Amino acid sequence: MLNPAYFRFDSLSSFVGLFAVIFTVVICLYSVSFMRQKRGQLRYYLYILLTLITSLGVVFANNLVLFILCWGFLGLLLYLLIGFGEKDRTSATAKKAFIIIGGTDAFMLLGIAFIWKLSGTLQMDKINIALNSRPAVWAYLCLACGAFAKAGAMPLHTWIPDTAEDAPSPVTAYLPASLDKLLGIYFLARLSLNMFAMDAAMNTFLMAIGSFTIVAAVMMALVQHDLKRLLGYHAVSQVGYMVLGIGTGNPIGIAGGLFHMLNHAIYKSCLFLSGGSVEKKAQTTELDKLGGFAKIMPITFVTFLIASFAISGVPPFNGFASKWMIYQGVIDLGKKGGYLWVVWLVAALFGSALTLASFMKLVHAVFLGQQSKESRFTVHDVREESPLMWIPQVFLAGLCILFGVFAYRLPLKMFILPSLNENVVFSGIWNANIATALILVGIIIGILIYLWGKASDTKEAEIFMGGEIFKDHPDMRLSGTEFYNTISDIGILKWIYDLAKRKLFDPYEVGSRITFGFNSILRYLHNGVLPTYLAWCLLGMGVLFYILLK
Amino acid sequence: MIYVLYFITYGFLLTVAIGLLTSWIDRKVTARVQYRVGPPILQPLIDIIKLLGKETLIPKGASKSTFLMAPVVGFASAILVSTILWVNNITSAHTYLGDLVVVIYLLTIPSISIIMGGFASRNPLASLGASREMKLILSYELPFVLAVLVPVIKSGFSLRLATILGYQLQNGAVATGLSGVLALIVAIFCIQAKLGLVPFDIPEAETEIVSGPLVEYSGPGLALYKLMKNMLLFILPFFLIIIFMGGLHFDAISIVKYVGLVALVTVIRNTNPRVRIDQAVRFFWGPMTFLAALAVALALTGR
Repeated sequence: MLNPAYFRFDSLSSFVGLFAVIFTVVICLYSVSFMRQKRGQLRYYLYILLTLITSLGVVFANNLVLFILCWGFLGLLLYLLIGFGEKDRTSATAKKAFIIIGGTDAFMLLGIAFIWKLSGTLQMDKINIALNSRPAVWAYLCLACGAFAKAGAMPLHTWIPDTAEDAPSPVTAYLPASLDKLLGIYFLARLSLNMFAMDAAMNTFLMAIGSFTIVAAVMMALVQHDLKRLLGYHAVSQVGYMVLGIGTGNPIGIAGGLFHMLNHAIYKSCLFLSGGSVEKKAQTTELDKLGGFAKIMPITFVTFLIASFAISGVPPFNGFASKWMIYQGVIDLGKKGGYLWVVWLVAALFGSALTLASFMKLVHAVFLGQQSKESRFTVHDVREESPLMWIPQVFLAGLCILFGVFAYRLPLKMFILPSLNENVVFSGIWNANIATALILVGIIIGILIYLWGKASDTKEAEIFMGGEIFKDHPDMRLSGTEFYNTISDIGILKWIYDLAKRKLFDPYEVGSRITFGFNSILRYLHNGVLPTYLAWCLLGMGVLFYILLK
Repeated sequence: MIYVLYFITYGFLLTVAIGLLTSWIDRKVTARVQYRVGPPILQPLIDIIKLLGKETLIPKGASKSTFLMAPVVGFASAILVSTILWVNNITSAHTYLGDLVVVIYLLTIPSISIIMGGFASRNPLASLGASREMKLILSYELPFVLAVLVPVIKSGFSLRLATILGYQLQNGAVATGLSGVLALIVAIFCIQAKLGLVPFDIPEAETEIVSGPLVEYSGPGLALYKLMKNMLLFILPFFLIIIFMGGLHFDAISIVKYVGLVALVTVIRNTNPRVRIDQAVRFFWGPMTFLAALAVALALTGR
């Protein structure tokens, strides 16, 4: 059954498979509480299990036909799982995701056909194609396109923000946030490391896509008004780092990209789960209607905070360790000469600051700041949700810290480095264990200063607002959604944001507009009058006869 | 253990001492510019001790632990950056702590702590100020990263501070070349914004939003923030001296370098009006980024 011609168990696939299982367990645990009182629970868990089985099939497949079969099933299961959302738009969103994923699957089939033509085998570990001919380049692009759509790199990302907004939180945490990233980047790594011999031009292409995705998606995230949609844009932006890392083509960059894939799956699913807890409590994800949840849900606040620091790359959390490796990979490119690496590096570093900015906005709008009028009315039960919901969050947040502080000892040594056969040399320095210990010492010094002063002597006081009495104006608050309007109003950025608002950068929307444009012309022919249809049939038959009997 | 020693002696005690002294220089120069006498040399320390003796007011309904822990975390990370810089500056044997990227990232944590503290205080004015602080980070981060790349390129694409220092020991400071000078100018403006000094004191803007994120802080919390800001007043010029001017040694030239840089920052602060936040963003994303990109291009062509 497990014939090596069809299945492959090496370090890379085993570690991706292992984490697929771990995420499934975590999500199932969370769903027990989250999906309670929803319809079709049996179907829900069935789909989740099927997703696990097919993704294991994708990960361990060594034959491209088997691979594409499982990959296609995943798209279908994604469609079915999004359907558990309860918004009006859900079915349209599910359709959109299905069409984008399914469309790229068709490209992948084409790519597989090219590979068959080029190498005469579909066994993945026997394929080794140099990118020196046009069919080889097309094959790579077709297959990479599938990986991009799955992971959500631009411009095929547009299903992710919609899905994030409309699907139930555990589904988003499970598929677009963790499993689809793992699988998409896993496949991109297989393509770029094993099946094709990359050249400089293709690496540059990958890095360009990666850097563009990082900055563009995070700029979109800055101006969002919905908690889950904002997180969805970050799920796109972080893919940029992984693609950038793999595109560097040197061992440290690739290791960083794979490490980032793992880290991203951890903190992003933690963010979606924490966001889901807030949603369950507040019955909304609109940022204007949230606020002040740190008092109501302290555990969720802490897990969300840890995960947002991890995604923003604050040391010593795990996001920093992997981004730092990717930066080194990019700088190593500079040694070979050229100017473009500066652009990639600056995009990555600056993207990280933008990520921090949008997460500060989220933390303010959801957890800190004043409570909104709506949530004061809807939230009566000022307690944390059930332990089944916060235990998965705490577990994932704990992994964020563990994989950051012990980056070398745990994830890198156990999972990442064995999956690359090359020797990874660190050109920078980051000693996370000692640095964390020192930060703790610093915190102790700070607390000692507190105690030396009169910090124990605390008193509660009304806030000061220039003499206004807050009790009389309880709605005098900033929700935080307008924080970055100064930036989105600057010159050329305003123009780009306007275009983005009209969905001109969404291939799905543009495609559907073109299709419907054609349809609106062709629709005039469908007027329901039988003689017209018969006339068309006769005309067509006449043309056919003319061609055939000519 | 050696690191804890470095951490407490150099990172904490020495940095605090120099930071407070620098704060005094800053205040004295400001006073002289305004035809005042200025404070005595121990005044910054006395201020901190006075604040430590006051009671702590916590705004009603605020997240208490976040409100109280934010200054501590910012303070701890300031000590850590300072330790990394000192260790690289004085010894090449124990540099296994962090590199340039780590320093850049750690330098944002004090700002994050101010933002978190402001958010946690639940005051709309604090929220406003904290959001401005975040926008300021966004605006200066782009030119700052570019400017910092110049020493990296010069020293043969190394991220290690020790290597950058070693390169400057042999070939002269980075700031002797044209690209280095341009990058240094950009970086000085960036640290002005990082320190939150006029013309970029937009987050605090005492006359407008009553010191923004810090509006609800009093007593020990405020003391820690003041201490952190005074330490940054030393750490940021020190960082620029390490990557652009060949590091500090205990001699006269180093003192001239350091005091000169601090005096420059103080003079800029005293001769400019506060700008609006959108003007600051335009300034950093426009001319400063252009200048920094030019510096990087020059450095890549070897100038």
